[in-house]
Amino acid sequence: MALLKGTLDVLVLKALSWGPMHGFEIISWLEERSGGRLSVVDAALLQALHRMEERGLIAADWGVTKNDRRARYYRMTPAGRAHLRAESEALGDQVDAIATVLAARSAAR
Amino acid sequence: MKARGIRDGVRRLFRLPLRTDDIVHADADAELASLLEERVEHLVLRGMTPEQARAEAERRLGATVAEARDTLHQSAGLRERRMQFQETFDDLRQDLRYAVRGLARRPGFTAVAVLTLAIGIGATTAIFSAVHTLILQPLPFREPDRLMKVSLTAPPVGKLPAMTDMVWSYPKFQLFRDQQQVFESVTLSSGGRQFNVTGGEAERIGGEEVDSRYLPTLGVQVQRGANFPLEEDAHPGAPRMAMISDGLWQRRFGADPAIVGKSIELDKESYLVVGVTPPGFRGMSGQADLLVPITVRPADDLGEAQSHSYTLVARLKPSVSADQAKGAVAVLGTRVAAAFPDAMLYKGDWGAIARDLDGTRLAPIVRQALFVLFGAVSLVLLIACVNLANLLLGRAHARRREIAVRLALGARRARLVRLLVTESVLLSLLGGASSVLVAWGGAHALAQVSPESALRTARGSGVGAVGFSSIQLDTTALFFTFGVALTVGLVFGLVPALQATNPAISGTLKEGGVAAAPARGARRFTSRQLLVVTEVALALVLLAGSGLMIRSLGRLLGIDPGFDARNVLTLRLNVPSAAYVRDSMPAFYAELTDRLGALPGVTDVSLSDCPPLAGGCNGTRIQFLDQPPVPLAQSPGVGVHWVTPTWFATMRVPLKSGRTFNAGDRMGTPKVVLVSETAARQFWPNESPIGKPVAVGQGGFSDGEEVVGVVGDVRHRIDTLSKPDVYLSYAQSPTARIMVFIRTAGEPLALVASARRAIREIAPEFPVYDVQPMTARVADSMARARFSAALLAIFAAVALVLAVVGIYGVMSFTVAQRTREIGIRMALGADRNNVLHLVVGEGIGLAGTGALVGLAGALAATRVLRSLLFGVDTWDPATYVAILLLLGGAAALASWIPAKRATRVDPTEALRYD
Repeated sequence: MALLKGTLDVLVLKALSWGPMHGFEIISWLEERSGGRLSVVDAALLQALHRMEERGLIAADWGVTKNDRRARYYRMTPAGRAHLRAESEALGDQVDAIATVLAARSAAR
Repeated sequence: MKARGIRDGVRRLFRLPLRTDDIVHADADAELASLLEERVEHLVLRGMTPEQARAEAERRLGATVAEARDTLHQSAGLRERRMQFQETFDDLRQDLRYAVRGLARRPGFTAVAVLTLAIGIGATTAIFSAVHTLILQPLPFREPDRLMKVSLTAPPVGKLPAMTDMVWSYPKFQLFRDQQQVFESVTLSSGGRQFNVTGGEAERIGGEEVDSRYLPTLGVQVQRGANFPLEEDAHPGAPRMAMISDGLWQRRFGADPAIVGKSIELDKESYLVVGVTPPGFRGMSGQADLLVPITVRPADDLGEAQSHSYTLVARLKPSVSADQAKGAVAVLGTRVAAAFPDAMLYKGDWGAIARDLDGTRLAPIVRQALFVLFGAVSLVLLIACVNLANLLLGRAHARRREIAVRLALGARRARLVRLLVTESVLLSLLGGASSVLVAWGGAHALAQVSPESALRTARGSGVGAVGFSSIQLDTTALFFTFGVALTVGLVFGLVPALQATNPAISGTLKEGGVAAAPARGARRFTSRQLLVVTEVALALVLLAGSGLMIRSLGRLLGIDPGFDARNVLTLRLNVPSAAYVRDSMPAFYAELTDRLGALPGVTDVSLSDCPPLAGGCNGTRIQFLDQPPVPLAQSPGVGVHWVTPTWFATMRVPLKSGRTFNAGDRMGTPKVVLVSETAARQFWPNESPIGKPVAVGQGGFSDGEEVVGVVGDVRHRIDTLSKPDVYLSYAQSPTARIMVFIRTAGEPLALVASARRAIREIAPEFPVYDVQPMTARVADSMARARFSAALLAIFAAVALVLAVVGIYGVMSFTVAQRTREIGIRMALGADRNNVLHLVVGEGIGLAGTGALVGLAGALAATRVLRSLLFGVDTWDPATYVAILLLLGGAAALASWIPAKRATRVDPTEALRYD
């Protein structure tokens, strides 16, 4: 399933709210939590991470994975937490509204 | 990759180097590789072969590896650049916040620094605005750099000096105008003419007589009406014409829109108004509210080739350079001389010279006074800067520990310097902002200086169009202030910052570092001491300059003018030429003095043609008829003054021998003159002048008369020693130049109204003007000297205060640094007096060194003052002794306070202090 525009940032922030992760961990977390329904294009994710770091939503540091591999670990900044709260509410509202509209149409029939 | 172990956040906190492009790209590549590997590993665990897993991983990447790498390089680079920019901005904000907090924490330091700069920069800006307005700003004419002033020249003859800046006669001008090829247009004007506007309230206004090419040459357009018609087109019998200034139009004619074509009455003659000049234009003299064609002059006067009274101004042709014009003018000068040979004095040796009009706008002495003031104020600014550098150096020193920590953590030096410089720039900008107040006040005060008083010489010579009244704080001056402030902050903050961050000097973390390493401490010390020495030296130069000016002013105030100025009211009476009938004048003088003398409160009334002390009186040559004849050009010069018989009594000028004028000295009786004491001493050193036959070249006296008395010397010019003077009687030599001197029993100004009324009753068409008590004229004549002396004294006082602050700062610092040493000395038995001597001695030693350096500088620098000084040598010992004592006292005081503090050091405390 392709992602709605602008939702990737919120999802990444949601993932990072659980703790610092590197890129692949974020991807795996999203796929796992969505029951495999969400698939993220890897290059797009890395690009999104750079963009979010630039905006100060997340911060990065190099670390070592369970498998002794060097990886860039991302964690959420206070600005990111605030962004997540605001955006997930907005996104929830939006989804709710869309669902309501679709339901209303079928009821009218 | 270096220093991997330090996290980015820590790096930022401690100003450590962030990443370069290469590192950023490598990071992005590593991240991509790591992601791919993680996925491959993940897929292999799910049972794929490594080949399958890699293919799947690349598929999931959404692009080829190369493509992904490119986009990631781009996004990472973008991220890094934006973050770095943000960081720089944050840094700046942080530096600024840091600087503000630092300055707020030390309000004393901040106040002293800001005040120092405000005074230094403010005073400089004020004087700069004067220099800018009076010297640098272009003249208010079109393309002023194309305008030249052409003057006649004459070689020295006998004792007469060479003439280099003579005015023209109309015939010579006509020849020059018609033969020259280098100028696009040539014009002439008479500066500083006075006209009486009659018809309604009589009023005296300044004007110029000009030719029809005056406005076109200057590039000025009339705002209504038209320019005068060309002289060649003027038809005989045409009405007299006039142009009026915008100011006169508004003031006297209520901005009458139909003024052009109306007639006004000037000196009892009717003139047709043909135009109104634009606002702000008052002729080249800067005083003219009226322009009239030069042809209103009587034809025989205008046609007199040796009657020189007009200034010639010309506009260069576009294709001609100033140098070419100068050459052409020199050639034309000889042609003019050949055409109008001067039988008397110069024969055919006249010449002509062209100079830039711009260079003639200020009298040389005023220009010089301004440059002296600008030099002085620059010294004040320099001292202020030195003081600031000193303060900053002390501050950087106090922070050396913090700086050492930062350097040890690997902070870049440039970054630290920026931090320190931010503080000094902030300081200097604060100082610059406050200086605007000082500058505004200063410029305002300068604009009050009227050219008639303080800088009298500004009038008459040069272009008066740019006057002191036009001085104001304009944008140029403000830019100047801002530029100076910024430069000061950068330069004088950079040096201490570089020094403080020099690892060789501040590479110590130990608080006791300075005490433990005296060599290093001493070196830093010396640079601060050097600054104080500089400061004292500069202050001494200023003190010397102002001391000399004050001494000179004292001399001016101290000289005996030769008369008693108290309780004398003076006023001028203008007798229009149309109303002047020579033979009826003596009766008018008598009526005038009788009428005024009858007023209650008046004890004595008399007339003279020229007020004492003001200069500008008549002068001529005197010949001695009982001696072998001497060519006129080699006869001595004398001042000529017209008086009524009682003038000497009115002014309390003593009669030394012989008699004064009396009622018997009238037209038709034998001509007699009085001479001044100096004249008597100079011309008849060993005999009495009484009864000597002389011939004075003015007032119809050139055919011989007799000296009948000697009177006391009266100073007719403020700035020269007594010159020989000759007095003629109004009754024997009537003249229209009348100044009335009224001695009063009480306050002279109380008589102004009744005196005016009395004059109006007997001579309603003669305007009364220039009404002043004689004491005001005396004060006025000293205004220029007073003005320069006062300004220089203010600058010197400021410089002295700044130098004292500098000495105080350094001595306080020394005492704080040497607390331990002083403690040891006291523990070893030194008493308070020893300590006091130690510290004060060092302070005076510093000041003494500075004074020695300054003395040499002052002796050199004050030479430029020579022409501004009156009766004082530039090396006047009394002045130097006085300022050295003053400086020594100030230095002792400045180091006494820290010394007193040093004596309170508790030895046990001091030894524990570390």
